[in-house]
Amino acid sequence: MVANLLNMIEKILLAHSDADTKAVSPGDIVNVSVDRVIMLDIAGLHPELINNPPKEAFDPSKLAIIFDHFAPAPNIEMAIGTSKIRKLAHKLGVNDFYDYGRAGISHALAAEKGWLLPGRIIANTDSHSIAAGAYNMLSRGLGTPELLQVICTGRTWFIVGETVNIELNGSMQSPTESKDVFLKLAGEIGDLPNENIEFSGEGIGQMTMDQRSVVSTMCAELSVEFAIFPYDKVLKSYLKNRAETHFRPVRPDKHTDYSRYYSFNMRDIPPMVALPDSVSRNTKPVSELGNIPVDQCVIGSCANGRIEDLESAARILKGRKVHRDTRLIVTPATPEIYRNAERLGYIGEIIDAGGMVTNPTCGSCMGGHMGILADGETAITSTTRNFRGRMGSREAKIYMASSATVAASAIKGYVADPSEFLGGVFS
Amino acid sequence: MKRVITGRAWVFGDNINTDLMYPHICYTLPESERPKYTMWANRPGWPEIVSRGDILVAGKNFGLGSSRPAASNLLGVGISAVIAESLNGLFLRNAVNVGLPAVSFQAIRSMVAEGDLIEIDLAEGNFRNLSTGGNVAFRSLPEFLMDVIEAGGIIEILKRSGYLDTEAL
Repeated sequence: MVANLLNMIEKILLAHSDADTKAVSPGDIVNVSVDRVIMLDIAGLHPELINNPPKEAFDPSKLAIIFDHFAPAPNIEMAIGTSKIRKLAHKLGVNDFYDYGRAGISHALAAEKGWLLPGRIIANTDSHSIAAGAYNMLSRGLGTPELLQVICTGRTWFIVGETVNIELNGSMQSPTESKDVFLKLAGEIGDLPNENIEFSGEGIGQMTMDQRSVVSTMCAELSVEFAIFPYDKVLKSYLKNRAETHFRPVRPDKHTDYSRYYSFNMRDIPPMVALPDSVSRNTKPVSELGNIPVDQCVIGSCANGRIEDLESAARILKGRKVHRDTRLIVTPATPEIYRNAERLGYIGEIIDAGGMVTNPTCGSCMGGHMGILADGETAITSTTRNFRGRMGSREAKIYMASSATVAASAIKGYVADPSEFLGGVFS
Repeated sequence: MKRVITGRAWVFGDNINTDLMYPHICYTLPESERPKYTMWANRPGWPEIVSRGDILVAGKNFGLGSSRPAASNLLGVGISAVIAESLNGLFLRNAVNVGLPAVSFQAIRSMVAEGDLIEIDLAEGNFRNLSTGGNVAFRSLPEFLMDVIEAGGIIEILKRSGYLDTEAL
Protein backbone atom coordinates (compact mmCIF):
# COMPACT_ATOMS: atom_id res chain seq x y z
CA MET A 1 0.00 0.00 0.00
CA VAL A 2 1.28 3.47 -0.87
CA ALA A 3 1.90 5.61 2.19
CA ASN A 4 -0.52 8.36 3.14
CA LEU A 5 -3.21 7.47 0.63
CA LEU A 6 -6.38 7.13 2.64
CA ASN A 7 -9.82 5.74 1.97
CA MET A 8 -13.03 7.27 3.38
CA ILE A 9 -13.13 5.10 6.50
CA GLU A 10 -9.50 5.80 7.40
CA LYS A 11 -10.05 9.55 6.96
CA ILE A 12 -12.98 9.59 9.38
CA LEU A 13 -11.11 7.49 11.94
CA LEU A 14 -8.07 9.76 11.74
CA ALA A 15 -10.17 12.91 12.01
CA HIS A 16 -11.60 11.57 15.30
CA SER A 17 -8.37 10.05 16.62
CA ASP A 18 -6.55 11.33 19.69
CA ALA A 19 -3.20 10.23 18.26
CA ASP A 20 -0.93 12.65 16.47
CA THR A 21 -0.67 10.62 13.30
CA LYS A 22 -1.57 11.01 9.64
CA ALA A 23 -1.63 7.33 8.77
CA VAL A 24 -3.28 4.12 9.92
CA SER A 25 -2.67 0.50 8.94
CA PRO A 26 -4.82 -2.62 9.20
CA GLY A 27 -4.55 -4.04 12.71
CA ASP A 28 -4.03 -0.66 14.39
CA ILE A 29 -6.35 0.32 17.21
CA VAL A 30 -7.56 3.90 16.97
CA ASN A 31 -8.95 5.71 20.00
CA VAL A 32 -11.64 8.10 18.79
CA SER A 33 -14.11 10.68 19.99
CA VAL A 34 -17.72 10.17 18.95
CA ASP A 35 -20.15 12.84 17.76
CA ARG A 36 -23.31 11.32 19.19
CA VAL A 37 -24.36 8.39 21.39
CA ILE A 38 -27.62 6.46 21.13
CA MET A 39 -28.94 4.23 23.93
CA LEU A 40 -31.86 1.87 23.38
CA ASP A 41 -34.67 0.43 25.53
CA ILE A 42 -32.94 -2.94 25.47
CA ALA A 43 -30.22 -1.52 27.74
CA GLY A 44 -32.83 -1.79 30.49
CA LEU A 45 -32.38 -5.57 30.41
CA HIS A 46 -28.63 -5.29 31.08
CA PRO A 47 -27.73 -5.67 34.78
CA GLU A 48 -24.42 -3.83 34.10
CA LEU A 49 -26.36 -0.64 33.41
CA ILE A 50 -29.11 -1.08 35.97
CA ASN A 51 -26.71 -1.90 38.83
CA ASN A 52 -24.05 0.67 37.96
CA PRO A 53 -25.53 3.54 35.94
CA PRO A 54 -23.28 6.36 34.72
CA LYS A 55 -22.94 9.24 37.16
CA GLU A 56 -23.15 11.72 34.30
CA ALA A 57 -22.96 11.91 30.52
CA PHE A 58 -19.87 13.45 28.90
CA ASP A 59 -22.27 15.76 27.03
CA PRO A 60 -26.03 15.24 27.56
CA SER A 61 -26.79 17.18 24.36
CA LYS A 62 -25.02 14.44 22.38
CA LEU A 63 -26.85 11.57 24.04
CA ALA A 64 -30.16 10.25 22.68
CA ILE A 65 -32.33 7.53 24.20
CA ILE A 66 -34.70 5.70 21.87
CA PHE A 67 -37.20 2.95 22.78
CA ASP A 68 -37.36 0.77 19.68
CA HIS A 69 -36.66 -2.92 20.24
CA PHE A 70 -39.56 -3.94 22.46
CA ALA A 71 -41.92 -1.02 21.93
CA PRO A 72 -44.30 -0.78 23.66
CA ALA A 73 -43.16 -3.07 26.51
CA PRO A 74 -44.58 -6.55 25.80
CA ASN A 75 -43.77 -8.02 29.22
CA ILE A 76 -43.10 -7.04 32.83
CA GLU A 77 -39.31 -7.36 32.51
CA MET A 78 -39.21 -4.79 29.71
CA ALA A 79 -41.70 -2.56 31.51
CA ILE A 80 -39.40 -2.50 34.56
CA GLY A 81 -36.28 -2.00 32.42
CA THR A 82 -37.74 0.94 30.52
CA SER A 83 -39.07 2.54 33.70
CA LYS A 84 -35.48 2.55 34.99
CA ILE A 85 -34.14 4.06 31.77
CA ARG A 86 -36.73 6.83 32.00
CA LYS A 87 -35.27 7.62 35.42
CA LEU A 88 -31.77 7.57 33.95
CA ALA A 89 -32.80 9.91 31.09
CA HIS A 90 -34.04 12.38 33.67
CA LYS A 91 -30.96 12.01 35.86
CA LEU A 92 -28.53 12.51 32.95
CA GLY A 93 -30.49 15.46 31.59
CA VAL A 94 -31.19 13.92 28.20
CA ASN A 95 -33.37 16.04 25.95
CA ASP A 96 -33.35 13.71 22.97
CA PHE A 97 -35.48 11.09 24.69
CA TYR A 98 -37.87 9.19 22.41
CA ASP A 99 -40.49 7.20 24.28
CA TYR A 100 -43.33 5.19 22.72
CA GLY A 101 -45.24 7.28 20.18
CA ARG A 102 -42.28 9.49 19.26
CA ALA A 103 -39.78 6.65 18.86
CA GLY A 104 -38.91 4.70 15.75
CA ILE A 105 -36.15 2.24 14.95
CA SER A 106 -32.99 4.12 15.89
CA HIS A 107 -31.22 4.00 12.52
CA ALA A 108 -34.21 5.28 10.57
CA LEU A 109 -35.14 7.83 13.25
CA ALA A 110 -31.56 9.14 13.39
CA ALA A 111 -31.68 9.86 9.65
CA GLU A 112 -35.00 11.70 9.95
CA LYS A 113 -33.66 13.80 12.83
CA GLY A 114 -30.67 14.90 10.77
CA TRP A 115 -28.16 13.19 13.07
CA LEU A 116 -26.54 11.16 10.28
CA LEU A 117 -24.00 13.57 8.82
CA PRO A 118 -21.07 13.02 6.47
CA GLY A 119 -17.72 12.57 8.21
CA ARG A 120 -19.23 11.84 11.64
CA ILE A 121 -19.11 8.88 14.04
CA ILE A 122 -22.14 7.69 16.02
CA ALA A 123 -21.97 5.16 18.88
CA ASN A 124 -25.03 2.92 19.12
CA THR A 125 -25.34 -0.58 20.56
CA ASP A 126 -27.54 -2.01 17.83
CA SER A 127 -25.64 -4.29 15.45
CA HIS A 128 -27.26 -2.64 12.43
CA SER A 129 -25.78 0.76 13.32
CA ILE A 130 -23.63 0.28 10.22
CA ALA A 131 -26.78 1.58 8.45
CA ALA A 132 -25.39 5.09 8.96
CA GLY A 133 -22.70 4.32 6.35
CA ALA A 134 -25.20 5.32 3.65
CA TYR A 135 -24.69 8.89 4.92
CA ASN A 136 -20.93 8.94 4.28
CA MET A 137 -20.21 8.43 7.96
CA LEU A 138 -19.23 5.67 10.38
CA SER A 139 -21.15 3.64 12.89
CA ARG A 140 -21.09 0.01 13.96
CA GLY A 141 -22.64 -2.11 16.69
CA LEU A 142 -21.21 -1.84 20.19
CA GLY A 143 -21.99 -3.77 23.35
CA THR A 144 -24.05 -2.26 26.14
CA PRO A 145 -21.17 -2.40 28.69
CA GLU A 146 -18.92 -0.37 26.39
CA LEU A 147 -21.75 2.04 25.66
CA LEU A 148 -21.45 3.06 29.31
CA GLN A 149 -17.84 3.97 28.60
CA VAL A 150 -18.89 6.11 25.64
CA ILE A 151 -21.62 7.83 27.66
CA CYS A 152 -19.13 8.64 30.42
CA THR A 153 -16.13 9.60 28.30
CA GLY A 154 -17.34 10.39 24.76
CA ARG A 155 -14.67 8.05 23.47
CA THR A 156 -14.26 4.52 22.14
CA TRP A 157 -11.85 2.46 20.00
CA PHE A 158 -11.94 0.77 16.65
CA ILE A 159 -9.61 -1.72 15.00
CA VAL A 160 -8.57 -0.63 11.52
CA GLY A 161 -9.49 -3.29 8.96
CA GLU A 162 -8.57 -4.04 5.37
CA THR A 163 -11.05 -2.40 3.02
CA VAL A 164 -12.67 -3.90 -0.06
CA ASN A 165 -14.26 -1.87 -2.83
CA ILE A 166 -17.67 -2.78 -4.24
CA GLU A 167 -18.63 -1.02 -7.45
CA LEU A 168 -22.37 -0.73 -8.15
CA ASN A 169 -23.17 0.03 -11.77
CA GLY A 170 -26.35 0.24 -13.82
CA SER A 171 -29.82 0.74 -12.38
CA MET A 172 -32.27 -1.70 -10.85
CA GLN A 173 -35.04 -2.93 -13.11
CA SER A 174 -38.56 -3.37 -11.68
CA PRO A 175 -39.44 -5.35 -9.60
CA THR A 176 -35.89 -5.63 -8.23
CA GLU A 177 -35.29 -3.70 -5.01
CA SER A 178 -32.09 -2.81 -3.18
CA LYS A 179 -32.61 -5.77 -0.83
CA ASP A 180 -32.18 -7.97 -3.91
CA VAL A 181 -28.95 -6.15 -4.76
CA PHE A 182 -27.65 -6.84 -1.27
CA LEU A 183 -28.71 -10.51 -1.37
CA LYS A 184 -26.95 -10.92 -4.70
CA LEU A 185 -23.67 -9.54 -3.39
CA ALA A 186 -24.00 -11.44 -0.08
CA GLY A 187 -24.41 -14.62 -2.10
CA GLU A 188 -21.32 -14.00 -4.18
CA ILE A 189 -18.93 -12.25 -1.79
CA GLY A 190 -19.68 -14.07 1.46
CA ASP A 191 -18.47 -13.02 4.90
CA LEU A 192 -15.81 -10.36 5.40
CA PRO A 193 -15.09 -10.47 9.14
CA ASN A 194 -12.84 -7.63 10.37
CA GLU A 195 -12.88 -5.97 6.93
CA ASN A 196 -14.58 -2.80 5.66
CA ILE A 197 -16.58 -2.05 2.53
CA GLU A 198 -16.45 1.15 0.50
CA PHE A 199 -19.05 1.46 -2.25
CA SER A 200 -18.39 3.24 -5.51
CA GLY A 201 -19.77 3.25 -9.05
CA GLU A 202 -22.09 5.24 -11.27
CA GLY A 203 -25.11 3.19 -10.16
CA ILE A 204 -25.10 4.82 -6.71
CA GLY A 205 -26.20 8.16 -8.16
CA GLN A 206 -29.50 6.57 -9.12
CA MET A 207 -30.13 5.08 -5.68
CA THR A 208 -32.33 6.91 -3.17
CA MET A 209 -31.18 7.29 0.45
CA ASP A 210 -33.64 4.55 1.43
CA GLN A 211 -32.14 2.19 -1.15
CA ARG A 212 -28.58 2.92 -0.02
CA SER A 213 -29.63 2.48 3.62
CA VAL A 214 -31.01 -1.00 2.91
CA VAL A 215 -27.62 -2.03 1.53
CA SER A 216 -25.55 -0.38 4.28
CA THR A 217 -27.79 -1.79 7.03
CA MET A 218 -27.56 -5.31 5.65
CA CYS A 219 -23.76 -5.15 5.46
CA ALA A 220 -23.85 -6.13 9.16
CA GLU A 221 -24.75 -9.59 7.84
CA LEU A 222 -21.41 -9.80 6.03
CA SER A 223 -19.68 -9.50 9.42
CA VAL A 224 -17.82 -6.32 8.39
CA GLU A 225 -16.60 -3.53 10.66
CA PHE A 226 -17.77 -0.56 8.59
CA ALA A 227 -19.49 0.04 5.26
CA ILE A 228 -19.67 3.47 3.67
CA PHE A 229 -21.18 5.18 0.62
CA PRO A 230 -19.71 8.28 -1.06
CA TYR A 231 -21.07 11.80 -0.64
CA ASP A 232 -23.04 13.02 -3.67
CA LYS A 233 -25.94 15.16 -4.85
CA VAL A 234 -28.60 12.73 -3.60
CA LEU A 235 -27.20 12.81 -0.05
CA LYS A 236 -26.65 16.56 -0.21
CA SER A 237 -30.26 17.15 -1.16
CA TYR A 238 -31.52 14.76 1.56
CA LEU A 239 -29.62 16.74 4.19
CA LYS A 240 -30.74 20.14 2.95
CA ASN A 241 -33.26 21.70 5.36
CA ARG A 242 -33.05 18.62 7.57
CA ALA A 243 -29.64 18.86 9.16
CA GLU A 244 -26.97 21.28 10.24
CA THR A 245 -24.62 22.29 7.46
CA HIS A 246 -21.09 22.37 8.89
CA PHE A 247 -20.26 18.74 8.23
CA ARG A 248 -17.24 17.57 6.27
CA PRO A 249 -17.85 14.88 3.64
CA VAL A 250 -15.02 12.46 2.91
CA ARG A 251 -13.79 11.14 -0.41
CA PRO A 252 -11.16 8.45 -0.95
CA ASP A 253 -7.77 9.74 -2.08
CA LYS A 254 -7.17 9.19 -5.78
CA HIS A 255 -5.27 5.95 -6.44
CA THR A 256 -6.11 4.56 -2.99
CA ASP A 257 -5.63 0.81 -3.01
CA TYR A 258 -8.30 -1.56 -1.77
CA SER A 259 -7.56 -5.11 -0.67
CA ARG A 260 -10.03 -6.53 -3.22
CA TYR A 261 -12.42 -5.23 -5.86
CA TYR A 262 -15.91 -6.43 -6.73
CA SER A 263 -18.27 -5.12 -9.37
CA PHE A 264 -22.01 -5.65 -9.87
CA ASN A 265 -24.36 -4.44 -12.58
CA MET A 266 -27.65 -3.83 -10.78
CA ARG A 267 -29.50 -4.09 -14.10
CA ASP A 268 -28.85 -7.85 -14.16
CA ILE A 269 -30.03 -8.64 -10.62
CA PRO A 270 -33.45 -10.36 -10.36
CA PRO A 271 -35.58 -10.70 -7.20
CA MET A 272 -33.47 -12.75 -4.76
CA VAL A 273 -34.11 -14.77 -1.61
CA ALA A 274 -31.90 -15.92 1.27
CA LEU A 275 -32.56 -19.48 2.39
CA PRO A 276 -33.08 -20.23 6.10
CA ASP A 277 -30.44 -19.91 8.85
CA SER A 278 -27.81 -17.65 7.23
CA VAL A 279 -27.51 -14.90 4.64
CA SER A 280 -24.04 -14.91 3.12
CA ARG A 281 -23.40 -17.51 0.41
CA ASN A 282 -26.95 -18.71 0.93
CA THR A 283 -29.02 -16.77 -1.63
CA LYS A 284 -30.60 -17.51 -5.02
CA PRO A 285 -33.08 -15.96 -7.47
CA VAL A 286 -36.70 -16.30 -6.26
CA SER A 287 -37.54 -17.86 -9.63
CA GLU A 288 -35.26 -20.82 -8.84
CA LEU A 289 -36.66 -21.53 -5.39
CA GLY A 290 -39.55 -23.89 -6.11
CA ASN A 291 -42.77 -24.05 -4.10
CA ILE A 292 -42.30 -22.97 -0.46
CA PRO A 293 -45.61 -22.36 1.39
CA VAL A 294 -45.38 -19.65 4.05
CA ASP A 295 -47.26 -19.28 7.34
CA GLN A 296 -46.19 -15.71 8.04
CA CYS A 297 -45.03 -12.79 5.88
CA VAL A 298 -43.23 -9.84 7.51
CA ILE A 299 -42.31 -6.42 6.13
CA GLY A 300 -40.34 -4.18 8.46
CA SER A 301 -37.10 -3.56 10.40
CA CYS A 302 -34.40 -0.90 10.23
CA ALA A 303 -33.55 -2.16 6.76
CA ASN A 304 -36.98 -2.52 5.19
CA GLY A 305 -39.61 -0.73 7.27
CA ARG A 306 -39.13 2.35 5.08
CA ILE A 307 -41.66 4.36 3.08
CA GLU A 308 -40.48 2.74 -0.14
CA ASP A 309 -41.16 -0.69 1.35
CA LEU A 310 -44.70 0.25 2.34
CA GLU A 311 -45.24 1.77 -1.08
CA SER A 312 -43.99 -1.37 -2.76
CA ALA A 313 -46.23 -3.57 -0.59
CA ALA A 314 -49.28 -1.38 -1.15
CA ARG A 315 -48.75 -1.36 -4.92
CA ILE A 316 -48.83 -5.16 -5.00
CA LEU A 317 -51.59 -5.61 -2.40
CA LYS A 318 -53.98 -2.96 -3.75
CA GLY A 319 -57.23 -4.64 -4.80
CA ARG A 320 -55.93 -8.10 -3.83
CA LYS A 321 -56.20 -10.26 -0.71
CA VAL A 322 -53.68 -11.93 1.55
CA HIS A 323 -53.98 -15.70 0.97
CA ARG A 324 -56.21 -17.43 3.55
CA ASP A 325 -53.41 -19.81 4.58
CA THR A 326 -50.92 -17.11 5.54
CA ARG A 327 -50.75 -13.79 7.42
CA LEU A 328 -49.04 -10.49 6.69
CA ILE A 329 -47.51 -8.22 9.34
CA VAL A 330 -46.19 -4.80 8.30
CA THR A 331 -44.14 -2.73 10.74
CA PRO A 332 -43.21 0.83 9.69
CA ALA A 333 -39.80 1.85 11.06
CA THR A 334 -40.77 5.30 12.39
CA PRO A 335 -43.84 7.41 13.20
CA GLU A 336 -42.95 9.71 10.25
CA ILE A 337 -42.95 6.74 7.87
CA TYR A 338 -46.24 5.51 9.38
CA ARG A 339 -47.83 8.96 9.03
CA ASN A 340 -46.64 9.41 5.44
CA ALA A 341 -47.82 5.92 4.48
CA GLU A 342 -51.22 6.71 5.97
CA ARG A 343 -51.40 10.02 4.07
CA LEU A 344 -50.43 8.32 0.81
CA GLY A 345 -53.06 5.61 1.29
CA TYR A 346 -50.62 2.70 1.71
CA ILE A 347 -51.80 1.78 5.21
CA GLY A 348 -55.42 1.53 4.01
CA GLU A 349 -54.46 -0.62 1.06
CA ILE A 350 -52.49 -3.02 3.24
CA ILE A 351 -55.36 -3.28 5.73
CA ASP A 352 -57.96 -3.73 2.98
CA ALA A 353 -55.90 -6.64 1.66
CA GLY A 354 -56.01 -8.29 5.07
CA GLY A 355 -52.56 -7.30 6.30
CA MET A 356 -51.86 -6.11 9.84
CA VAL A 357 -49.99 -2.84 10.35
CA THR A 358 -48.20 -2.56 13.71
CA ASN A 359 -46.67 0.39 15.54
CA PRO A 360 -43.03 1.28 14.78
CA THR A 361 -40.66 -1.16 16.53
CA CYS A 362 -37.97 -3.74 15.77
CA GLY A 363 -40.80 -6.15 16.63
CA SER A 364 -40.71 -9.64 15.18
CA CYS A 365 -37.35 -9.13 13.43
CA MET A 366 -35.55 -10.12 16.61
CA GLY A 367 -38.23 -12.42 17.95
CA GLY A 368 -39.20 -9.93 20.63
CA HIS A 369 -42.91 -9.54 19.96
CA MET A 370 -45.40 -8.67 17.19
CA GLY A 371 -45.38 -12.01 15.40
CA ILE A 372 -43.41 -14.89 16.93
CA LEU A 373 -43.09 -18.09 14.89
CA ALA A 374 -44.26 -21.48 16.19
CA ASP A 375 -42.56 -24.87 15.78
CA GLY A 376 -42.66 -26.06 12.19
CA GLU A 377 -43.72 -22.71 10.73
CA THR A 378 -42.13 -21.03 7.72
CA ALA A 379 -41.82 -17.27 7.26
CA ILE A 380 -40.79 -14.98 4.45
CA THR A 381 -39.50 -11.67 5.74
CA SER A 382 -37.91 -8.45 4.50
CA THR A 383 -36.32 -7.87 7.92
CA THR A 384 -32.60 -8.21 8.64
CA ARG A 385 -31.81 -11.74 9.82
CA ASN A 386 -32.87 -15.32 9.12
CA PHE A 387 -30.84 -17.07 11.82
CA ARG A 388 -32.27 -20.25 13.30
CA GLY A 389 -34.58 -19.37 16.18
CA ARG A 390 -34.36 -15.65 15.38
CA MET A 391 -38.10 -14.96 15.14
CA GLY A 392 -39.29 -17.44 17.75
CA SER A 393 -39.16 -21.23 17.54
CA ARG A 394 -35.85 -22.90 16.75
CA GLU A 395 -37.96 -25.29 14.65
CA ALA A 396 -39.15 -22.46 12.36
CA LYS A 397 -37.69 -21.61 8.95
CA ILE A 398 -37.03 -18.02 7.84
CA TYR A 399 -36.62 -17.00 4.20
CA MET A 400 -35.50 -13.42 3.56
CA ALA A 401 -36.28 -11.23 0.54
CA SER A 402 -37.38 -7.77 -0.60
CA SER A 403 -40.64 -6.21 0.59
CA ALA A 404 -42.08 -6.69 -2.93
CA THR A 405 -41.33 -10.42 -2.78
CA VAL A 406 -42.86 -10.65 0.71
CA ALA A 407 -46.03 -8.87 -0.45
CA ALA A 408 -46.29 -11.12 -3.51
CA SER A 409 -45.79 -14.16 -1.27
CA ALA A 410 -48.56 -12.96 1.07
CA ILE A 411 -51.01 -13.01 -1.83
CA LYS A 412 -49.92 -16.37 -3.20
CA GLY A 413 -49.37 -18.16 0.12
CA TYR A 414 -45.94 -19.32 -1.00
CA VAL A 415 -42.64 -17.59 -1.76
CA ALA A 416 -43.49 -15.76 -4.98
CA ASP A 417 -41.67 -13.62 -7.51
CA PRO A 418 -43.22 -10.10 -7.57
CA SER A 419 -42.77 -10.06 -11.36
CA GLU A 420 -46.15 -11.82 -11.55
CA PHE A 421 -47.82 -8.68 -10.17
CA LEU A 422 -45.51 -5.96 -11.42
CA GLY A 423 -44.24 -7.38 -14.68
CA GLY A 424 -40.67 -6.53 -15.50
CA VAL A 425 -37.68 -7.82 -17.38
CA PHE A 426 -37.22 -10.94 -15.28
CA SER A 427 -40.73 -12.38 -15.78
CA MET B 1 -7.15 -13.71 34.39
CA LYS B 2 -4.20 -15.94 33.66
CA ARG B 3 -2.24 -15.31 30.50
CA VAL B 4 -1.81 -19.06 29.96
CA ILE B 5 -5.15 -20.83 29.74
CA THR B 6 -5.47 -24.62 29.65
CA GLY B 7 -8.70 -26.51 29.12
CA ARG B 8 -10.65 -29.19 27.28
CA ALA B 9 -11.80 -28.23 23.79
CA TRP B 10 -15.38 -28.06 22.55
CA VAL B 11 -15.42 -27.83 18.77
CA PHE B 12 -18.06 -25.91 16.80
CA GLY B 13 -18.35 -25.24 13.06
CA ASP B 14 -18.51 -22.09 10.94
CA ASN B 15 -20.87 -19.12 11.37
CA ILE B 16 -21.96 -19.75 14.98
CA ASN B 17 -24.06 -16.62 15.49
CA THR B 18 -25.10 -14.62 18.56
CA ASP B 19 -28.70 -15.77 18.34
CA LEU B 20 -27.50 -19.35 18.86
CA MET B 21 -25.36 -18.32 21.85
CA TYR B 22 -27.98 -16.03 23.36
CA PRO B 23 -31.49 -16.97 22.14
CA HIS B 24 -34.15 -14.26 22.51
CA ILE B 25 -35.66 -16.13 25.46
CA CYS B 26 -32.60 -15.06 27.50
CA TYR B 27 -33.50 -11.38 27.35
CA THR B 28 -36.23 -11.63 29.92
CA LEU B 29 -34.83 -14.40 32.15
CA PRO B 30 -33.04 -13.70 35.45
CA GLU B 31 -29.31 -13.27 34.77
CA SER B 32 -28.37 -16.60 36.36
CA GLU B 33 -30.80 -18.54 34.12
CA ARG B 34 -29.61 -17.13 30.80
CA PRO B 35 -26.53 -19.34 30.18
CA LYS B 36 -28.69 -22.49 30.28
CA TYR B 37 -30.00 -21.62 26.81
CA THR B 38 -26.58 -21.19 25.17
CA MET B 39 -26.55 -23.08 21.82
CA TRP B 40 -30.19 -24.01 22.48
CA ALA B 41 -31.07 -24.35 18.79
CA ASN B 42 -27.90 -25.99 17.47
CA ARG B 43 -26.64 -28.06 20.43
CA PRO B 44 -29.33 -28.44 23.08
CA GLY B 45 -28.07 -29.68 26.45
CA TRP B 46 -24.54 -28.41 25.85
CA PRO B 47 -24.35 -26.03 28.86
CA GLU B 48 -24.92 -28.98 31.23
CA ILE B 49 -21.89 -30.92 29.97
CA VAL B 50 -19.39 -28.04 29.90
CA SER B 51 -16.87 -27.97 32.76
CA ARG B 52 -15.58 -24.69 34.18
CA GLY B 53 -12.39 -23.73 32.33
CA ASP B 54 -13.20 -25.49 29.03
CA ILE B 55 -12.20 -23.74 25.82
CA LEU B 56 -14.51 -23.16 22.85
CA VAL B 57 -12.94 -23.81 19.43
CA ALA B 58 -14.83 -22.71 16.31
CA GLY B 59 -14.55 -22.21 12.59
CA LYS B 60 -14.99 -19.12 10.47
CA ASN B 61 -16.92 -15.99 11.38
CA PHE B 62 -17.68 -16.89 14.98
CA GLY B 63 -20.09 -14.45 16.61
CA LEU B 64 -21.85 -12.91 13.61
CA GLY B 65 -24.99 -11.11 14.69
CA SER B 66 -26.30 -8.74 17.27
CA SER B 67 -24.87 -6.82 20.21
CA ARG B 68 -26.70 -9.09 22.67
CA PRO B 69 -24.37 -10.30 25.47
CA ALA B 70 -23.48 -13.62 23.84
CA ALA B 71 -20.01 -13.65 25.40
CA SER B 72 -21.57 -13.32 28.86
CA ASN B 73 -23.50 -16.54 28.25
CA LEU B 74 -20.27 -18.34 27.30
CA LEU B 75 -18.64 -17.10 30.51
CA GLY B 76 -21.75 -18.19 32.36
CA VAL B 77 -21.50 -21.80 31.17
CA GLY B 78 -17.83 -21.87 32.22
CA ILE B 79 -15.94 -21.20 28.98
CA SER B 80 -12.51 -19.64 29.72
CA ALA B 81 -11.48 -18.66 26.18
CA VAL B 82 -12.65 -18.72 22.56
CA ILE B 83 -10.35 -19.66 19.68
CA ALA B 84 -11.83 -19.41 16.18
CA GLU B 85 -10.61 -19.33 12.59
CA SER B 86 -12.10 -15.83 12.43
CA LEU B 87 -14.15 -13.69 14.82
CA ASN B 88 -16.88 -11.15 14.18
CA GLY B 89 -15.74 -7.71 15.36
CA LEU B 90 -18.76 -7.04 17.55
CA PHE B 91 -18.40 -10.40 19.27
CA LEU B 92 -14.72 -9.63 19.93
CA ARG B 93 -15.65 -6.29 21.51
CA ASN B 94 -18.30 -7.89 23.70
CA ALA B 95 -15.94 -10.71 24.74
CA VAL B 96 -13.11 -8.37 25.68
CA ASN B 97 -15.47 -6.01 27.49
CA VAL B 98 -16.75 -8.77 29.78
CA GLY B 99 -13.27 -10.22 30.32
CA LEU B 100 -13.46 -13.27 28.01
CA PRO B 101 -10.28 -13.83 25.94
CA ALA B 102 -11.11 -14.43 22.26
CA VAL B 103 -8.46 -14.92 19.60
CA SER B 104 -8.42 -16.08 16.00
CA PHE B 105 -6.04 -17.87 13.69
CA GLN B 106 -6.55 -19.91 10.56
CA ALA B 107 -5.01 -23.24 11.64
CA ILE B 108 -7.05 -23.83 14.77
CA ARG B 109 -9.75 -26.14 13.40
CA SER B 110 -7.30 -28.52 11.77
CA MET B 111 -5.31 -28.82 15.00
CA VAL B 112 -8.02 -29.73 17.50
CA ALA B 113 -10.51 -32.55 18.01
CA GLU B 114 -13.24 -32.28 20.59
CA GLY B 115 -12.04 -33.30 24.04
CA ASP B 116 -8.37 -32.51 23.40
CA LEU B 117 -6.55 -30.75 26.18
CA ILE B 118 -5.33 -27.46 24.71
CA GLU B 119 -3.45 -24.43 25.92
CA ILE B 120 -3.10 -20.83 24.76
CA ASP B 121 -0.46 -18.46 25.94
CA LEU B 122 -1.94 -15.01 25.38
CA ALA B 123 1.25 -13.20 26.31
CA GLU B 124 3.48 -15.13 23.91
CA GLY B 125 0.87 -15.77 21.22
CA ASN B 126 1.41 -19.50 21.32
CA PHE B 127 -1.10 -22.33 20.97
CA ARG B 128 -0.39 -25.92 22.06
CA ASN B 129 -2.48 -29.06 21.75
CA LEU B 130 -1.33 -31.01 24.81
CA SER B 131 -3.14 -34.15 23.61
CA THR B 132 -1.45 -34.31 20.20
CA GLY B 133 1.72 -32.30 20.79
CA GLY B 134 0.91 -29.84 17.98
CA ASN B 135 1.73 -26.19 18.44
CA VAL B 136 1.57 -22.95 16.48
CA ALA B 137 2.30 -19.27 17.00
CA PHE B 138 -0.51 -16.75 16.45
CA ARG B 139 -1.01 -13.01 16.63
CA SER B 140 -2.35 -12.43 20.12
CA LEU B 141 -4.59 -9.61 21.25
CA PRO B 142 -3.15 -6.10 21.37
CA GLU B 143 -1.99 -5.03 24.84
CA PHE B 144 -4.76 -2.43 24.91
CA LEU B 145 -7.39 -5.20 24.82
CA MET B 146 -5.45 -7.53 27.13
CA ASP B 147 -5.57 -4.80 29.76
CA VAL B 148 -9.38 -4.70 29.57
CA ILE B 149 -9.60 -8.49 29.89
CA GLU B 150 -7.18 -8.55 32.82
CA ALA B 151 -9.18 -5.88 34.60
CA GLY B 152 -12.22 -8.16 34.37
CA GLY B 153 -14.00 -6.12 31.73
CA ILE B 154 -14.88 -2.54 30.94
CA ILE B 155 -17.40 -2.16 33.78
CA GLU B 156 -14.67 -2.86 36.34
CA ILE B 157 -12.45 -0.22 34.73
CA LEU B 158 -15.26 2.35 34.74
CA LYS B 159 -16.08 1.58 38.37
CA ARG B 160 -12.46 2.02 39.43
CA SER B 161 -12.28 5.29 37.52
CA GLY B 162 -15.28 6.59 39.44
CA TYR B 163 -17.57 6.95 36.43
CA LEU B 164 -20.39 4.74 37.69
CA ASP B 165 -22.87 5.00 40.54
CA THR B 166 -22.79 2.22 43.10
CA GLU B 167 -26.51 2.63 43.65
CA ALA B 168 -28.72 0.73 41.22
CA LEU B 169 -31.42 2.49 39.19
